[in-house]
Amino acid sequence: MVEIWTNQILQGVLLGGLYALFAIGLSLSVGVMRFVNIAHGDLIVMISFVLLSLTGGLGLPTLAAVAIVIPISFVGGYLLQRLLLQRVLGKDVLSIILVTFGLSIVIQNALQGVYGADIRKVGGGAIETATIPLSGNINVGVLPLVIFISATLLIWLLDLLLYRSRIGARIRAVSDSVATADLVGLRSARIYAIAMAIVGATMAISAGFMAIWTNFDPTSGPSRLLIAFEAVVLGGLGNLWGTLIGGIIIGVAQAVGAQFDAAWQVLAGHIVFLAIFLTRPQGLFPKY
Amino acid sequence: MFVGRIPLHRRSLLQAAGATVALTAVGGLPRVAFAVPKTIKVGLVMPATGPLAFFCEHVPFTLGQLKQTLGGKIKIHGTEHPYEIVVKDSQSSPNRAAEVTQELILKDKVDLVVGFATPETVNPVSDQCEANGIPCITSGAPLEPYFFGRKGDPKKGFDWTYHFFFSGQGLVGSLVPFFNRLDTNKRVGGLWPNDGDGLAQSDKERGFPAFYGQHGFSVVDPGRFDMPASNYNSQIAAFKAADVQIISGVVPPPEFTTFWNGAAQQGFKPRVVFVGKALEFPPAITPLGDRAIGLTTEVWWSKFHPYVSGLNGQSSAQLADAYEKASSRQWSLPLGFPHALFELVFDVLKRTQDLANAASIRDAIKATDYKSIVGPINFNKGPFPNCAQTPLVIGQWDKGKKYPYEMTIVDNSTAKDIPVGGEPHPIKYA
Repeated sequence: MVEIWTNQILQGVLLGGLYALFAIGLSLSVGVMRFVNIAHGDLIVMISFVLLSLTGGLGLPTLAAVAIVIPISFVGGYLLQRLLLQRVLGKDVLSIILVTFGLSIVIQNALQGVYGADIRKVGGGAIETATIPLSGNINVGVLPLVIFISATLLIWLLDLLLYRSRIGARIRAVSDSVATADLVGLRSARIYAIAMAIVGATMAISAGFMAIWTNFDPTSGPSRLLIAFEAVVLGGLGNLWGTLIGGIIIGVAQAVGAQFDAAWQVLAGHIVFLAIFLTRPQGLFPKY
Repeated sequence: MFVGRIPLHRRSLLQAAGATVALTAVGGLPRVAFAVPKTIKVGLVMPATGPLAFFCEHVPFTLGQLKQTLGGKIKIHGTEHPYEIVVKDSQSSPNRAAEVTQELILKDKVDLVVGFATPETVNPVSDQCEANGIPCITSGAPLEPYFFGRKGDPKKGFDWTYHFFFSGQGLVGSLVPFFNRLDTNKRVGGLWPNDGDGLAQSDKERGFPAFYGQHGFSVVDPGRFDMPASNYNSQIAAFKAADVQIISGVVPPPEFTTFWNGAAQQGFKPRVVFVGKALEFPPAITPLGDRAIGLTTEVWWSKFHPYVSGLNGQSSAQLADAYEKASSRQWSLPLGFPHALFELVFDVLKRTQDLANAASIRDAIKATDYKSIVGPINFNKGPFPNCAQTPLVIGQWDKGKKYPYEMTIVDNSTAKDIPVGGEPHPIKYA
């Protein structure tokens, strides 16, 4: 019995790593840049399709394809912010939500037009099914472990960038007050665009893992968005480590809930989120 | 919505009703009515886009074949009548399916409606036809969700709507002899989600667990779950703890991939894996790689079936080859059914006494006794009224010759006329 519970909690923690990986980009845009990107999930799915074209169409190895896609997404994020999002930012909260919502619909239908409704997957090789037997009936999948470690590393890097570097200080300054930042000579539009470019790079990494970890189709973006949101809010806005912990809490809650009855899996995650949200609306570890 | 656009006054309605009565009366004199060619309109509703679209991949090919064979005309009792097929997309949504069916009936004024694939399509289409008194033939959804999903009464049945496919009871009846031929501990793990199919199959009294129980199998059921599920760790843990060797489930392909990768990561190695919906289509099987070998699917139609089309005389193998040639894609199970659906439509029209009379078309459907490319279809012999049950066999995936993975029929216990291509085998693990 103890073994089953230990196993479930362990698997829940690893799952939390994946949720955190999805949520990192969102954590940056919601927590630091202070706007809600409804198209976050769809952008990740779109990058997954690009990876599919590179690996399936051109026959590149998955790792090389991800390496190519990261700089492309970086530039893509920069241009997206500069050419589209920046135009509506700061006007009011609603317009940016509407624009990204529209973007989400455009991406889904464009993908459906180009790739069709088939369900796709990018092959990851032996790592997908590799397993490490720990003791007795407890196994740890290699892929979930790699994802968890990557999420931790990525958060550590982004945290350094945001709180220990010049550009990080500038991003935070613009995030605190655009008007004041402009007054001291910071070019807020450019800094926002750089922040979005960083978000783009994290999306490419999430897309790479998602494409290997599970199947995807043009409409699978929104379902990934919800849990990412919960992880960000639970951890506290602006706190990247908080996002990791938020993801782990949801992952463990789901695993433990499912142990009682499979019907409780998704619900348990939402209930724990709601309970913590009611007692601490600012999240567990808010930066602001 | 568009009903509002038709000016429907009390007086014109009464006049129209009067005219209909008059028309019906004239229809009683057969030979006179038949002399003039009448354009026959057939409405087709299917999920051409959205998550259910993979069922409809073959329909454009089928429609092309129809045009090639018939040339847009059909000979009925000596007179050539032009026909027209109006295609509507349900966008994989039941609401949209009902809406476009209304459009077909009220705006396009079709004589007959056909619907294809999943209860989410055929049920709303049939309900609209039933309410409007339009004859309707559907396929591509198991009989139970069709009949009971529409609150059908086994004593009364429906007046206007008819359906053919395999049944859930037929499925579990085909699975048990297949399981029995393999060496297992007879412990079945249920992977049944919280949706129409999952609830129907997991039902303790009318579903699969009762049937498995009667045949000496024990069932481990961890409970209904919502999809998309991020992982199947708890189910896998429960199956592992109970030493489950057979998986019986029904989930769509992305969910199955999550489950199947999770099983490998957790070191869970079932000997038999049958999962409906997920394992029927090559586009869903190929991404699994060699871990697709040995997976089990129910087979409602295949290129190995011994049936021949009454429409263009093609055998099942010829139909599959023609499709592969035209599309350069691998044949799959749903190919036979849209073909059979239109075989049936033209068979019905040829037997219709009075084309202008909906009830006459309906009577022709009711009297159907037809040998189609998916097997014999007779709406009076089904397990439920208005339903015809088509034969079912069991297949497993193996490494292919022409395509990376191909399906082989391994058990035909419930339909002996369909030839097997191999022996049942448990999944091998490295």
